[in-house]
Amino acid sequence: MALTLMKGSEAIAEAAIRAGCRYFFGYPITPQTEIPEYMSERMPEIGGCFLQAESEVGAINMVYGAAGTGERVLTSSSSPGVSLKQEGISYIAGAQLPCVIMNVMRGGPGLGSIQAGQGDYFQATKGGGHGDYHLVVFAPASVQESIDIMSVAFDTADKYQCPVMVVADGMICQMMEPVVLPEMKEYKVDLEKKPWAANGHGFSKPAGRSIINSMYITTEALSEHNEKLQAIYREIEANEVRFEAYNMENAEIIVTAFGTVARIAKSAIDDLKEEGVNIGMIRPITLWPFPYKELHDAAMAPGVKAVLDVELNAGQMLEDVKLAINGDKPVDFFGHYGSQMPTPEEIKEKLLSMREVL
Amino acid sequence: MKEVIVLIGNYGSGKTELALNFAFQAANEGKKVELLDLDMVNTYFRLTDRGNLIKMKEIRLVSPNFVHSSVETLSLPAEVASAFALDWDTVIFDVGGDPAGATALGRYHEDFAALPEGSLKVLNVVNTRRPMAGTPDKLLSLMEGMERHSRQKVTGFINNTNLARMASADDLRDGYEIIAEASRRSGVPVLYTSGRPDLLAEFMAEERDPRFVGAPMPIETYMHRDWETFTREGL
Repeated sequence: MALTLMKGSEAIAEAAIRAGCRYFFGYPITPQTEIPEYMSERMPEIGGCFLQAESEVGAINMVYGAAGTGERVLTSSSSPGVSLKQEGISYIAGAQLPCVIMNVMRGGPGLGSIQAGQGDYFQATKGGGHGDYHLVVFAPASVQESIDIMSVAFDTADKYQCPVMVVADGMICQMMEPVVLPEMKEYKVDLEKKPWAANGHGFSKPAGRSIINSMYITTEALSEHNEKLQAIYREIEANEVRFEAYNMENAEIIVTAFGTVARIAKSAIDDLKEEGVNIGMIRPITLWPFPYKELHDAAMAPGVKAVLDVELNAGQMLEDVKLAINGDKPVDFFGHYGSQMPTPEEIKEKLLSMREVL
Repeated sequence: MKEVIVLIGNYGSGKTELALNFAFQAANEGKKVELLDLDMVNTYFRLTDRGNLIKMKEIRLVSPNFVHSSVETLSLPAEVASAFALDWDTVIFDVGGDPAGATALGRYHEDFAALPEGSLKVLNVVNTRRPMAGTPDKLLSLMEGMERHSRQKVTGFINNTNLARMASADDLRDGYEIIAEASRRSGVPVLYTSGRPDLLAEFMAEERDPRFVGAPMPIETYMHRDWETFTREGL
């Protein structure tokens, strides 16, 4: 297969296009500006639409509009910009529209830094906007996995008629790796499959909508709408959990980590294996739905003495890890904030120090 | 006569790598060298990242204002004038990728025009394994944009086709075909073929039209953009 040397951000943009995305609305912000830049070059080539909005708020509302027609739509931003989009995301969730939102996380809070970060875990998984809603959240750990996840993200959004978020960070988007791209997929809106899509011709189907909004004025109607949403979320929780289990055989400690940090932890685990120490890893690929049961089962295996959660934040996924373990095993944490990437050596040292007292 | 090398080309084509290699080669020959980091677009993976190494070789480095301060809006430093005013043997400009990056050069077009005949080389570094440079058409349209924005004419191609840590001589072979076609169409000669010494030796051992190969330039890699370096050094 033909390999191309791609930067993570270019690869994500091209993968979205190949998954059938023909509409991109965004606004520049480091470290993801290469995504809109690439889109501005590629979309006109293939008859798609690239539009640089006046702001992140504008961009997410353009996503709302375009997604309402049933097309595959992407927006991307980085942490502060994703905060700005939250109102629109809540509206999209309320209106039950499929779309993909990319968050290339950087250090926060506030303006923070332009280096890698993982501080938006809470925002992504617990609902950064208002109301009872969830986003399906994917967290790839390499350039190739980012490519592979883009088509899954669009398919998932369509299947459950909900917004999907992909979180990466400055490392994934700025590094260059040889990658394999999937074949180009031509996407045509099928109104049989998307009877809800507004097509500009009034109520074309019995179930069709000519107005797409998220307003349910009576308490009964709003309650019924929320019940419908919650039923979809339960279905997603039952069907869409993704995770990677690494080196689990005879593991003494299980590391939990996501995204680039998981890749760093993997280096530490490989080094320790050579030294005769077995450490396993559960890497959630979906941050929501979180692999609660799978992590608990793994931690209950005989021989597992503790769990170490590693993150590039003050311990956000840690809360879900603790919920999963539910007090059945000790859970420890190692992390840096302020975009200071943990090194394999530091993680090794932490694991070895834990091992001494277990 | 002062030798002025301007490196332009697509993002990830290897401009910075070549800038370092040209500079170190000249410095090893005892020449007085100045390197100019004129990438005003990309905040990451820049010449200034190797500042200590450059200074150790007694090469003068000029960097944009606010470089490495996590500020995204860099500005051109006044010291760029030293490239033209002072008495260097070799001056190397490393410019940002694509037409937007090449714009930084436009401001100096009068200084470039005042250089003695034959002292300026504007080299278009090409890696055909990169997505926006994979065909002669794309290459030429990118080159035309860069020429317009930089107010310079490209005087030669460098075939620097590679897949980073997975590079092979096949990359150079494929790059040769595409760049040869671009060279035929544009009339711009291929002045160098560059790559890891072992791969380059393999490529050079084969029979080819020398007009599209140019001088072999074995290079050492200083600018790693791969995962392993990231985990050690960060962005």
